[in-house]
Amino acid sequence: MMPDDFDRILDECIDRINRGASLADCLSDYPAYSEKLKPLLQSMHDVQKTCAFTPSADSKRAARQRFHAVLDRQRQVSTPSSFFRVIPRSAVWATIAVLIVAAIAVLVIQPVLNPLTVVPSPEGNFAFLVSDEPNDIGDFESLNVTISRVVLQRTGSLKRLEFTPETETVDLTQLQGEQSQEIWRGNVPAEQYSHIYLYVSEVMGKLGSTGQIVDVRLPSNKLQISMLFEVTDDKVTSFTFDITVVATGNNGRYILKPQIGESGARQE
Amino acid sequence: MNAGGRRSISGMHEYETQLAGLYEEYYDKIARYVFIHVGNREEAEDIAGEVFLKALKSLKSYREQGVPMQGWLFRIAHNLTVDYLRQTDRRRTVPIDSVVLVGNDNPIDTAEKNIEFERVTEAMKQLTAEQREVINLRFFGGLTSREVGGVLGKGDGAVREMQRAAIEKLRGILGVET
Repeated sequence: MMPDDFDRILDECIDRINRGASLADCLSDYPAYSEKLKPLLQSMHDVQKTCAFTPSADSKRAARQRFHAVLDRQRQVSTPSSFFRVIPRSAVWATIAVLIVAAIAVLVIQPVLNPLTVVPSPEGNFAFLVSDEPNDIGDFESLNVTISRVVLQRTGSLKRLEFTPETETVDLTQLQGEQSQEIWRGNVPAEQYSHIYLYVSEVMGKLGSTGQIVDVRLPSNKLQISMLFEVTDDKVTSFTFDITVVATGNNGRYILKPQIGESGARQE
Repeated sequence: MNAGGRRSISGMHEYETQLAGLYEEYYDKIARYVFIHVGNREEAEDIAGEVFLKALKSLKSYREQGVPMQGWLFRIAHNLTVDYLRQTDRRRTVPIDSVVLVGNDNPIDTAEKNIEFERVTEAMKQLTAEQREVINLRFFGGLTSREVGGVLGKGDGAVREMQRAAIEKLRGILGVET
């Protein structure tokens, strides 16, 4: 047997296993090679099994929605109107060239914003607020959440920018329902964003009934919302990040969760 | 495609439709591929979502490359993963305990699975960079050898050879029982 023959057979078996065939099926089709094939295919199986990971349906659904939202917007932009169809192509390109030059000129004279860390400003185009959707917040006399930083991620890019809240600790018992608290305001680049992360360094909950300090946890060290929103230069975009506290059973434990349905951006 | 090499709007729509059609099958595969690199479920899911958004925004650059679209998606996934790893390395924000394969299982089972996962990823680090990429794309991305060759700029024969050598090496390191 030539080495390349074996490589082809191994390759074919891997393809078949990737498509759902069993290891036994592959080996039975190549009895002459099964002794050599079996340990290698078994290794493949073990490595795949050890690293098995199925993304959550929620994440996949949210990503699909973002994808189709951007696709719809892109198609609307790329479909030429009847106005453009009747104008000579050269005129269209000349107009585009003028617009590009104008855009570059605007960018050059704009103050340069640090792409990683943005600083607060009372006249900023972006305000970040925290609120609480009432679930089990009634159990608490106070629930202080300390937010160390907030990260925004741009759509279609891994570029992120972050800021440190001017008010780092908020008491969620004071922010129920329609109540909210602005914790940062400043200038952020006018772009579309798809994710917002809240990094929580400390949670201190005090029960109303007993005055006991209780364990309030997060699924990880951050709370995350995946949602498309746009920041523009001409209006102030206020994003409210709604947090809710939920009891995990009758064990006296609570967790903090983002409340996506109550969170979102609005422009003033 | 017209003489200038530019694709018409209807042609772009075909690409967009093709990309949308790949979403259901390849989102999971890309998330698995990224997960092997970053070791964090949430980040892997986020990056998989970003791959499709990035692809959508970059469709104009896709047309000339002659790589199947699914292979091109994995190139984007690779680049975004490298960007992510650079960022997290620079900012040191990746929590060590974030490598969690199964969240709500028995803690002992979860710990054992995490140890086994770490053992496999450590073994993968002992492969050459190209062997590792072949294994990741074949085992977790589910690409064919020809598609992997397109991503890596190699012939499919070379990919098959690297694949066999990589599995033999992994088997030697992991001491898999047969």
